[in-house]
Amino acid sequence: MNLTELKNGQKAVIVKVDGDRRYLSRITSIGLNVGCKVEMLQNVKSKPLLIYGRDTMIALNKEESKRIQVEVAQA
Amino acid sequence: MTNKTIALLGQPNSGKSSIFNSLTGMHQHVGNWPGKTVEKKEGTFEHNGVSYTIADLPGSYSLSANSDEEIVTRDYIVKKDVDMVCVLADSSQLERSLYMLADFAGLKTPVMLALTMSDVAKTKGKDIDTKALSKKLGIEVCSVIAYDKKTFEPLYKAIEDTINYGQILNADELYNTLASSDIAPEYEAAIDIATGLADDRRSAEWIASKILEEDELVLRELKIKNIDKVPVSSDCAVKVSNARFAWIDSVISDSVTNSKKPSELLSKFDKKAIAPVTGTLISIGMMVIALIGSMVVALPFMGLGGSIPSILNPLVDLLSSSLGVSETICHFIKSTLVTSLGWVISMVGFIFGMSFVFGILEEAGYMARVSYVFDRFMGKLGLQGKAIMPMVMGLGCTMGSISGAKVIDSYGQKILTIAVAWAVPCGATFVVIPTLATSFFGATGGMLVMLLIFAIMFLHIIVTAKIFGRKLNPVEKRTGIVMELPPYHKPRWGFVCKNSLMRMWDVFKKAFSMELIVCVIFYFLSYSSTGIEGSALYKIGVAIEPVSRFFGMGWQTFMSFFAAMISKEAVLGVLSAIFANSGSILDSTTGLAAASDNVAQLVAAAIPKAEALAFIIAVTFNVPCLQAVTATYNETHSAKWTATIGGYYICTALILAAIVYHIAAIFM
Repeated sequence: MNLTELKNGQKAVIVKVDGDRRYLSRITSIGLNVGCKVEMLQNVKSKPLLIYGRDTMIALNKEESKRIQVEVAQA
Repeated sequence: MTNKTIALLGQPNSGKSSIFNSLTGMHQHVGNWPGKTVEKKEGTFEHNGVSYTIADLPGSYSLSANSDEEIVTRDYIVKKDVDMVCVLADSSQLERSLYMLADFAGLKTPVMLALTMSDVAKTKGKDIDTKALSKKLGIEVCSVIAYDKKTFEPLYKAIEDTINYGQILNADELYNTLASSDIAPEYEAAIDIATGLADDRRSAEWIASKILEEDELVLRELKIKNIDKVPVSSDCAVKVSNARFAWIDSVISDSVTNSKKPSELLSKFDKKAIAPVTGTLISIGMMVIALIGSMVVALPFMGLGGSIPSILNPLVDLLSSSLGVSETICHFIKSTLVTSLGWVISMVGFIFGMSFVFGILEEAGYMARVSYVFDRFMGKLGLQGKAIMPMVMGLGCTMGSISGAKVIDSYGQKILTIAVAWAVPCGATFVVIPTLATSFFGATGGMLVMLLIFAIMFLHIIVTAKIFGRKLNPVEKRTGIVMELPPYHKPRWGFVCKNSLMRMWDVFKKAFSMELIVCVIFYFLSYSSTGIEGSALYKIGVAIEPVSRFFGMGWQTFMSFFAAMISKEAVLGVLSAIFANSGSILDSTTGLAAASDNVAQLVAAAIPKAEALAFIIAVTFNVPCLQAVTATYNETHSAKWTATIGGYYICTALILAAIVYHIAAIFM
């Protein structure tokens, strides 16, 4: 599943990031690379995604975030 | 005295600007990088008899080359005459913020690491062993608290040592990881061709890692040297970044201890501050508070600025009576030197207020929330979400919105925000225009005119954003938001206040001379010994009346339109000078002569309604005032952009007036 499908409070691990070179460098340099654990803080209709990863709260454009594949972490 | 050059490098929110301000104080120079829309910030300081030039490089999360800002940074740190680089990392988010250093690994410019916000890290239960880090990395590592100059001693020492011994970051482990990873074949192939580009400052390993990331600059270099690039699979870039994070993990594993469990991720306030509805409401509330707050801070200065003429003019008169200086010269001094001094004092007061309030909000970490909440809305204009703050400030005073635009971190977007913010009618417009509109069109008509103004404002904002956006933030370069929302910090009032004062003084020095020159020019344009008809301005106005008629304005309204570029209040003053004979054009514009009380009625009787409407629209969307122009120049450091924006607004105001006039003439 992709990142935008996570519900509030769900935890997951990033397994794959697609996209052009620019997107990859932006997303990985803020710390979201393969293997990174993230938690969805807020996923609402009219706002960017808000996730927590690497000790940081990060806002992400929703359309672009469809390129981030995640696996829900087993509790 | 020897001079050494330092480059300051760090991610957004790493405290880079604060360190830069603390190190350099008043000795800063801000300009543009030649040929690029990128801000250049340099400063100097002295320590132990050595003078240092330090460059505050545009902040980004890594050393990629995706924007002009990043390209400037990349070029700068490998320049031969840079003595060292100081990389900053936020101790409270060490893992993520060390990515900049990991991306630097492989460059051979001497480097040191300064860990900021160690106080925040401590409250989070993080303890960092700088000695162990230093040993592992092979470079100087120190802790520093940006707002506390007392903690700077280790930083100075680390700078001295780095320059004296030229320590280079030990990157072997990172590149060994790459060489033994599953992209090793690609890496080896990249190394082979990278050797052709390697130089004193860039190792073949570093260039190879950039080849794997398909870095635009490096690929271009390869092309110039006619070296064929290696085929790279699309996940190489991700794997390189994985290797960097693995390296960071191994670097900090022995040096950082975590004694506290992470606290609740979202504080109660933050839950509200980012929620769709309450977040918007809180943002609007914050804007109102910010507007009132900055007004309160600015008020004493504005009061002082406003009373400058009444304080200094009697002194100038004394000059005339005691020293026999002629009245003409006294009047010249009053309408140029005294007037511009008064204006500049009010202006810097406003800039101080804005810097202070926005500085506090930025320091506290709240601005990033505004960016998040308004991302979609402002994104449609090609602007960052937080650009909403300065734009709303524009309803109070355009100077406020311009100096508030400093919170926009990309230079191109900052100019774009300023260009768009000019279209927001300011407080003075809301005083002048309703007076005029009501006397022409009655209470109901006046309301309709105000509605028309708001409708045009929205249209103007959209069109202006589109026109200026084409160059400043091209659609094809626009990217979705990928932004960190920093944790809230307790703002340091004294530190923000000191920085705002420094900024105020800096603006004062530059703005005073500029406004003085314009006042002198306006003095000669409007000077007349025989009443209004004697001035150059009148002659020009009458001469071009056939042209200005096309835009719906006769010479009287056109002169007033012209004076409105100096100050909005001049609109009524100049009309009053013409129709009520209340004083000269000059005195009415500079405020030496008050507008007649019944000026609006007199004008209403003398000017046809269609012309009046065209005039009202033209004045509202004209260049806001001389101070707005000066503030724009101060904020953009670019005469070219200031002139472009100014020229654009004069043209659009005239076009709007022409449209309104010709439509209105059909009905009125």
